[in-house]
Amino acid sequence: MQKTMLQNILSNMVKKPATRDFPTEVRIPEKNLRGTIEFHMENCVFCGLCSMKCPSNAIEVDRATKTLKFDLFQCVICGSCAEACKKGGVEMIAKYKSPMYSKPGMVVQTIPEAPDEETK
Amino acid sequence: MSDRTCIPFGPQHPVLPEPIQLKLELQDETVISAIPHIGYVHRGIEKAAERMEYTQNVFLVERVCGICSFIHALAYSQCMEDIFGIEPPPRAKYLRVIWSELHRLHSHHLWLGLFADSFGFESLFMQFWRNREMLMDIFDKTAGSRVIISTCTIGGTRRDISDEHLKDILDTVDKIQTELDKTIPVMLKDYSVKQRTVGVGPLSKEQAMTLGAAGPVLRASGVAQDMRQLGYAAYPELDFEPIMETAGDCYARAKVRSRECYQSLGLIRQAISQLPSGEILTKTKGKPKGAAICRVEQPRGELLYYAEANGTNKLERLRIRTPTFANVPPLVAMLPGCELADVPVIILSIDPCISCTER
Repeated sequence: MQKTMLQNILSNMVKKPATRDFPTEVRIPEKNLRGTIEFHMENCVFCGLCSMKCPSNAIEVDRATKTLKFDLFQCVICGSCAEACKKGGVEMIAKYKSPMYSKPGMVVQTIPEAPDEETK
Repeated sequence: MSDRTCIPFGPQHPVLPEPIQLKLELQDETVISAIPHIGYVHRGIEKAAERMEYTQNVFLVERVCGICSFIHALAYSQCMEDIFGIEPPPRAKYLRVIWSELHRLHSHHLWLGLFADSFGFESLFMQFWRNREMLMDIFDKTAGSRVIISTCTIGGTRRDISDEHLKDILDTVDKIQTELDKTIPVMLKDYSVKQRTVGVGPLSKEQAMTLGAAGPVLRASGVAQDMRQLGYAAYPELDFEPIMETAGDCYARAKVRSRECYQSLGLIRQAISQLPSGEILTKTKGKPKGAAICRVEQPRGELLYYAEANGTNKLERLRIRTPTFANVPPLVAMLPGCELADVPVIILSIDPCISCTER
């Protein structure tokens, strides 16, 4: 038996596992991670550049009705849309999308409403 | 003869990461002949490339193969740069070398692990794959993604590597080297590993050349041919020699890939020390017309891209020839005469990537 492997075996007996103890210990995402994309509809001018650059046809822009639809599960998270957008309407965020029970398909993106103090 | 049997090996087999079927004709336990069948993972990428725009295709061709995604993007980008008649900036060329060598290193780690697994050495498999995780973390840090890194594009690269990350890469390279010093001797010097690999699946130099073998399979049979010698990206400015072994068996193939790991470490260090500063992207303009061929060295061997543009914003034709496709005829020549138990080891020794082959 090689001395090297024996060394490895002995050190592995006392070392911590190489894997992360997942639910309790979560991996910290890297700063420039391509996790998922987020739309800032308040900045969007519906020019359609993002939709033109998208390699997987995950974005649909309709200028006439001023709507932008996005399919989360068709997106390959390449970041082309975020690079193409000059208005800051699309942003790449360093957080992975969470799993879902069903595919939502093309979803119309809207401006998130400010929380209403009175109804609270 | 009546006592010959035909055994279908694959497409689902514990040792095969991807589906390929070999119909083995056996005389007792000895393989007489093998007939390969592919076509289980065809995705029509070449046709899909004809209906997407040039820059969008980069993301498509990256998905030909997950393990060497960057090198596919590099080959396609170089092809398109030829057609557009542009030259990427020097810094981009060096960044391309760094990322392709990291990809080669991670692919060889993956292979060394799978190869150890093919003859039942599972603890060695775990050792290699644990080391590989350090490389995946580097991709995560520098490119923002672990597998499909999407950093190469037509005219250069999409991302730059900061000085801080360059230091991280150098640290990882040092760590990998110390780990490799521990694990590679087990692969190459262990008695039981040698029993399973030395003299198994021999391929002579003449056979390798006539059957058109590529990459480590060709180099293990005594032909020092490496596409990086053609001088694409920043390789002409870096110092390296193609690695060659003469035995032509599974052991020689493992040795070539082990030594290539060290070669890649050296190339990354050289590229980082010579990395020039400046721009990383040359803009492309217009709708070009013309055709170009590009040959690059993938971890598995020579990768060929042929692209034809017809003056619109879409390609007329894209043709991809991958190294595993070239290595299937040598594989069929290696198998006759071997024992049935050695078949997984021989198949793994060519590092088959069936997704690449079928595209």
